[in-house]
Amino acid sequence: MKRVNAVVVGAGAAGGIVAKQLATAGLSVALIERGKWYTANDCRKDDLRNQRVTVLGNAFGPDDEGNPRVAVDARGVPSIVLPSEGQYQNDAACVGGGTLSYGAQAWRYMPQDFRMRSTYGAPQGSSLEDWPISYDDLEPFYDQAEYEIGISGDYSGTPFHGPRKRDLPMPPLVPNREFGILESAAKRLGLHPFHLPMARNSVPYNGRGPCMRCRWCCGFACEVDAKNGSQNTVIPVALKTGNCDLRTECMVKEILLDDRGRAHGVSYFDADRHLQQQLSDIVVVSGCATESARLLLNSKSRLFPAGLGNRYDQVGRHLQGHHYTGASGYFDFDTYDDVGPGASIAIIDYNHGTPGLCGGGMLANEFIRLPIHMVNGLPPGTPKWGLGHKQAMRDWHKRTIVVFGPTQQIPTASARVTVDPSVKDKWGLPVVRFEGNVHPHTFDIGQVQAKRAEAWLKEAGAIHTSISAGRPDTVSAGQHQAGTCRMGNDPQGSVVNKVCQLHDVDNVFVIDSSVHVTNGGFNPALTIMAVAFYASGELVRNWKGTGYRS
Amino acid sequence: MMRLLKLAAMALGAVALLAVSGSYGASYYYTTQHGQGCAGCHEMGAYVSAVHGSHHQDVGCMECHEAGMSTKMRHMRVHFFGTPPEAIHLRDTDVLAMASNCQKCHRHEYATWHAGPHSATYSQIFAAPAHNSSRRLMEDCLRCHGMHFSGSVRDLVQPQNLDGPWHVIRAGFADQPTMPCQTCHQVHKAGGVPEAKPAQRISVAGEAVHNSLAFFDRREQTHVDAALLSIPPLQEGARAVKMSEDQREAICYQCHAPRIPEPGSLAAEHQWGPQVGSGDDRTPKGVHEGLSCISCHVGHNENARASCKSCHPQMSHCGLDVEKMDTTFAAAASKHNIHWVGCVDCHQHGVPKMKT
Amino acid sequence: MQTRNKAALTRRQFVAAGVLGGAALAVGCKAGNQGNWDFFTDAQALDLTALCDQIIPADGFPSASQAGVITYIDRQLFRHYRRHRDAYRDGLEQADALSRKSFAKALADATPLEHLAIVSAVEKQNPTFFDLVRRHTMEGYYGSPRHGGNRDGVSWRMLGLAEPPVRGRAQYDLRKGAAS
Repeated sequence: MKRVNAVVVGAGAAGGIVAKQLATAGLSVALIERGKWYTANDCRKDDLRNQRVTVLGNAFGPDDEGNPRVAVDARGVPSIVLPSEGQYQNDAACVGGGTLSYGAQAWRYMPQDFRMRSTYGAPQGSSLEDWPISYDDLEPFYDQAEYEIGISGDYSGTPFHGPRKRDLPMPPLVPNREFGILESAAKRLGLHPFHLPMARNSVPYNGRGPCMRCRWCCGFACEVDAKNGSQNTVIPVALKTGNCDLRTECMVKEILLDDRGRAHGVSYFDADRHLQQQLSDIVVVSGCATESARLLLNSKSRLFPAGLGNRYDQVGRHLQGHHYTGASGYFDFDTYDDVGPGASIAIIDYNHGTPGLCGGGMLANEFIRLPIHMVNGLPPGTPKWGLGHKQAMRDWHKRTIVVFGPTQQIPTASARVTVDPSVKDKWGLPVVRFEGNVHPHTFDIGQVQAKRAEAWLKEAGAIHTSISAGRPDTVSAGQHQAGTCRMGNDPQGSVVNKVCQLHDVDNVFVIDSSVHVTNGGFNPALTIMAVAFYASGELVRNWKGTGYRS
Repeated sequence: MMRLLKLAAMALGAVALLAVSGSYGASYYYTTQHGQGCAGCHEMGAYVSAVHGSHHQDVGCMECHEAGMSTKMRHMRVHFFGTPPEAIHLRDTDVLAMASNCQKCHRHEYATWHAGPHSATYSQIFAAPAHNSSRRLMEDCLRCHGMHFSGSVRDLVQPQNLDGPWHVIRAGFADQPTMPCQTCHQVHKAGGVPEAKPAQRISVAGEAVHNSLAFFDRREQTHVDAALLSIPPLQEGARAVKMSEDQREAICYQCHAPRIPEPGSLAAEHQWGPQVGSGDDRTPKGVHEGLSCISCHVGHNENARASCKSCHPQMSHCGLDVEKMDTTFAAAASKHNIHWVGCVDCHQHGVPKMKT
Repeated sequence: MQTRNKAALTRRQFVAAGVLGGAALAVGCKAGNQGNWDFFTDAQALDLTALCDQIIPADGFPSASQAGVITYIDRQLFRHYRRHRDAYRDGLEQADALSRKSFAKALADATPLEHLAIVSAVEKQNPTFFDLVRRHTMEGYYGSPRHGGNRDGVSWRMLGLAEPPVRGRAQYDLRKGAAS
């Protein structure tokens, strides 16, 4: 197989961008993806089998067959979990990764989110840290992501966002009914509601049409191709250069090291499960926080017996996602108008600045509801079954608003990804094993956030409310998983440096949510994309024709 | 050695015999009386009993379904050794093969459909430069065009870009119809043999739904009875448009549908609902408000050429021939769309009182 | 009609069909059932109907079983929910035993009021099985019709949702749209 300049592992939010940036700069790229290139046709708006409701499996991977993981519970008991189960912490396995089927909220983190330790100090038992780069360093790349991927929305209603040089490229979608109900209530409370940013066309953009406002959005691939992910933006550009070879259904086994301890490619199982080698000058790992860590940990060698880049036992630690809390409000008038994507209005007044709390999070109305979502979302006291439940479904399905938000998680070193000593996947590779839990201060913040969501709903006229603020005793990762290959200046406390290069091996890069030191109080997709533009920009800048200038 | 050869030959013969008798068996199994053969497999039971309760109860399975030997053997194999799909569906090729069988009995209907725009072929719809150079193809195209097509739109047309030239890449599909009979008709739909032909004269509203009318929903891979489909409420500005109560036209709205107001539009600014005439909607307003699609459009070929006289006297109140007034009925280039034309379009200085 | 005559069996066809039918008996269909279900026996299906129709009873709108929930569960036990087969076999057997003990009749023969009492008892005595049945019943009733439940989208119509929804698409000329 012909040697290439770069192997990029994973064609998701980050990998697609890295491949496109490298390929357009003239590097030859092998973009290796374990999943398929799915389309909306592979799901056809199935309420029971998508990436959000997975009772009959994941529409966009991985399959329940042959892809187990192990979750260790609070008592230390490990159990096998399937991809369609919540404890699996699944993202997706396909071209586009999570961005094929995400809700597509496209947030910039706030300047304070990159300086959490300096702003608040680290709570006891936490590993709260500052990023080695700042909001200002990333701002140009947030802008690049917003314009290349295509974001609609309008930040003008809030003063709390970080400085930005220009507006979003597309106006917001026309508000749904919930927007109107929640907007006036928020203003009465002295808050600053606005049209949240979405990677979704509101008007024609990039050669594709606008959203048709259907009910099947978050968790589904878009049938009118109005949702913007790496699969319909950067990856086609990368392929068009002729420099990028996308290989689907190929599972990377390990990163290969030469005698001098530098990477010289990867070995992978191709679609027919034959082991192949792809030699390269550099390797970029973009497999998402769990799978990137797994690949490094599975790449054991004489020099790195505990896994590549894991000399100080940092790979896989600081696993975090978001602690989602909020409230449901039940109204005596119709609030539901069957106009997707549903999530439309947000406040970021509560992300920072509450005395006694290390941060907070964005609050927004939820994505449009499918009936199956409502089954366990009825007002407190509703019978769980029988005529009472059925009647309540009729009473409340169109009269419920859910306000929720991703509470920023306080990281800990003990929440981690390791590889299981015995369980293997269908390729015979040791699988991800989750250990640890969420730092308790996160729950304190989440509780306050839920109360705030409830207050907003009450002001909007809710006649009943219920709060959702659990205290799970396992790790939290899910589709917002991050943190496992922390970016930092100290090689003993992080895995990659500020340009996403392994401290230990100068031609291996980790570019995805793994490098997030903290994960903001926002959906992470746009930050993953901005970091990918930033890091691949640095990579190209330092490229010397045949290798990386270390 | 000889003995071994003999044994081998016998074994071979036995296998061949089994194969031949099996395939003939399969064939006979299908053609036995009145669907009982097909219903012998429980997977098929519901479909056979449905057809027995339908208009087509007297038509044998193989009159419509053309199952070749390989199909029959596949059914047998899946039935005995495999896991059948959750629900049994016709494949896209089966649907097309069936559609041409409809003309065996419904010759006139088939001919009028064939002469009209709803018989547009895959290449006419999906390889049209005028469309494809300005709008990207997407999965949702298949909702109304090619709803029976089994794959993704990328399996149908290449290249998937605005540059072209475009080709239908699925073998044998270029000249096949995208909207065959089964788009709007469910052959197995419940309902006895009609006592008489349905009324020829098309009424304005309220007629019972013709028994086979049902829309094929690509997502669920099933027909939805026209009686269950919804007719969307529409507005002209803030005013609610009077909608026909003809339930048959609910089928038309599945594709000729209005849109949610787009950013920057007047309707969005005022928070109006879906507007009449938006998207592909052609709901009448103005002088024709309240009419059903089917009031004017003859089924199957959508022709409206003879429709005026069914309601109008030839001459209007003003003494003009209604068919020659300046509307899109008389000339496609007219700026007065026949669906939306109002009195004021011509009487700009006030509409005269009706003569009695 | 002509068709009928044409399709009448000749003797030779009859023999051939008989050979094949024999083969079918010998091999047996993979589903294991010659009845109406992929997984359940007819008796199990009746027992499950008794439970599901208490979880979602008929009112002005269909009950769980009327909307196809048994079909949904049956199909999935043969496919995605194979891991729950034992739970259903044992759970239904226990529910039937409970009925025989409490009311001296089989679950399927009990009255709706007796069914209600049994389901309430199952909820307390065997909450794992009850939660499983409740979850699957809700999925079948409120999920997509393609999986065998929610027949004709009946639960969605009950909630006032158009099915399929009427929604037009953009008719923009994309060449006039902004590009990055």
